[in-house]
Amino acid sequence: MNRLREARDHKGWTQAELAARVGVSRKTINTVENRVFTPSATLAIKLAKALGMSVEELFWIEP
Amino acid sequence: MHDVHDVEEAERMGRKRSQIFFVLAIVFFAGQSAYFASSPATRDSHARMGAWIILVFLIMMLLATGGFLFRGRNVRDLLNDETSRLNRLASQALGFWVTIVTALAVYIESIFDPLTLNEGLHIIVTLGVGAALISFAMRERRAHRIG
Repeated sequence: MNRLREARDHKGWTQAELAARVGVSRKTINTVENRVFTPSATLAIKLAKALGMSVEELFWIEP
Repeated sequence: MHDVHDVEEAERMGRKRSQIFFVLAIVFFAGQSAYFASSPATRDSHARMGAWIILVFLIMMLLATGGFLFRGRNVRDLLNDETSRLNRLASQALGFWVTIVTALAVYIESIFDPLTLNEGLHIIVTLGVGAALISFAMRERRAHRIG
């Protein structure tokens, strides 16, 4: 589970802007937001850093 | 950090890539159907076999690199990011399994109805490479449609 869309919206960024900041395609941001694709630890850290959050705030596992 | 323009360009190229790969897979399978429908006497001409080998090699290069023909390092990196690499690996794995299963099927078939080495290899390689290509194209198309 993740709150990527909410965090991105809060920053006022488009998917393409966030994608450019972390160096991935818009498709990757879109599939992560829609919970179709689980990102690697490296990408999760990059996303959290770009959004000014910790990885645990951005991603979590449903009990 | 990449430029937003690069991301948009990679998005456009990625959609185009999945469409091109899908059409290429259909053309490839259609070509091989015509090959097997033709008479064995004319089937194995050097020109036909050469064209098939070149096409197989081209598809393998496309599957190995995700599109070595795309220009611009930034866009190429974005086109081959995490999701595309994962889709490519899954497609290569599928291609491997299709190749093995087809090889077993050809082996069993040859017990009852002998095939030439050329025919057997042609079937195995065509199905293995074609399955990997169509799988990658469909995975990418699906990923682009989400959202």
